Amino acid sequence: MKLMHTKLPEFLEKMRVASEESPNPKPIEIRGLENLTSAKMQSLRTGRIEHAVREMTMRDGVERIEFQVIPRVPETMHTVIIKGIGKDGKAKSAILEVLNILHPTEEAYLLDCDDIEDRRPGIGRH
Amino acid sequence: MAKLTYKMIPEGMLEGKYVPLNIAFIDYKEVKNAGVTPRQAFEAVAKTVDGPVGMNIFDQDVVTTTSDGVMVEGTVRFMAAADKGRINPDFGYLEMAEMPYSDELVKEEPHLIQWKKNYPGKRLFRGPDPATKIIPVHNVCISGRASNNNSATEMMNIVTMEEILLPILGQQQIMRNGKVILGMTGGIISVGIGMIMPEKFGRVFPTRQFPAGETAHGSGPYAQTLKAHIPCIVADKAVLAENIIKCLEAGCIPGRTVGASPAVLSVARSMGVEIDMGNITDKAYEELGSVGFTKEWMQEKVDILTPEEIIARADEIIPGVVDGTKYNVPDLIKETTIEL
Repeated sequence: MKLMHTKLPEFLEKMRVASEESPNPKPIEIRGLENLTSAKMQSLRTGRIEHAVREMTMRDGVERIEFQVIPRVPETMHTVIIKGIGKDGKAKSAILEVLNILHPTEEAYLLDCDDIEDRRPGIGRH
Repeated sequence: MAKLTYKMIPEGMLEGKYVPLNIAFIDYKEVKNAGVTPRQAFEAVAKTVDGPVGMNIFDQDVVTTTSDGVMVEGTVRFMAAADKGRINPDFGYLEMAEMPYSDELVKEEPHLIQWKKNYPGKRLFRGPDPATKIIPVHNVCISGRASNNNSATEMMNIVTMEEILLPILGQQQIMRNGKVILGMTGGIISVGIGMIMPEKFGRVFPTRQFPAGETAHGSGPYAQTLKAHIPCIVADKAVLAENIIKCLEAGCIPGRTVGASPAVLSVARSMGVEIDMGNITDKAYEELGSVGFTKEWMQEKVDILTPEEIIARADEIIPGVVDGTKYNVPDLIKETTIEL
């Protein structure tokens, strides 16, 4: 089962290697995962994304890679945990709330690009 | 070649207020006359806009309810968002669901006693059926930077994070070339939009989540700040008064069978209509009181006016909107025609 999900630091390293150690190496800037500290990434797609990064480095006229991760679902639901901490550093009580956050969809990141190949499966498929 | 005429507010300053995205108001009759589907009409309009746009198709022949439960003529049946000509295939388009009349529905949603009395035979639309959405987002369409929220009554640019409120009666006036007020939403309307009625497939909530007399906001003194600094285009207060009067004359009771919003409460007080003060929750009182609508205010004796007098004095009787200016719609919003 080791290959089912990839550790976040491994994922970031794999993308860096796919771009910067490609046969046609290019610098890469990865954005959109900064807020994650502990996460497992879908391995099936990790490999395909590595492949896509490598492929993009090989395309004519490409000088650098921008790699942006956004929520595919533009309204994400989050739990807010409000904890009151005592003098001893321990939680005295907590309130849970919910917060829905709206995000721009991919069109906002592709305003300057018309050559787009959408390789995503339909929502609900992996 | 078929043509489509619609009203368009361009992104940018509008008479001193900032409109954060392009906004298109399309009459459903125009769409039908052009022989295209609503989605095709949205695609055609989107192609003409080199930026974010919220788009509504408004049907003047049906009825809906305001957030506080007042039944009014006309509503948005189809909504969309686009950015630089692109409509997101999963989240860019929604259709409102028809709620067929039944005695059972009126029993569950008693503010609908207005329906048979004021608008017999008219079809009712509010929000979408959640089953038609790809995932359970709220009643929103998003494409790129453009977001069209709460069944097309609030629009925003998610990148600049600026927003505009478009309550349904204001849109009715836009479609009818009537009168609107352009201003800032302010604390009173911020509180008022929380005083909702329970509705299935409602404009904001898909289920009957909050009972009458309750506040959807539940945020105490913070409720007045939630939308206060956002521009809005609302109906002339005389129009709002006329609609609230019809609602109250049909037998709706503020706090019980119509929402206890400041606008409804103000008209009710001037008409001498009973307010169900016992059914308004402490949380709702806290929010109402924070903008001056206390229990004492509700019990204060004021001159009882005729409906005609209330409509004539609506600007002084109905509170809400800060720094507002009244416009005849043709002076504020221009029409555009495109070939399809």
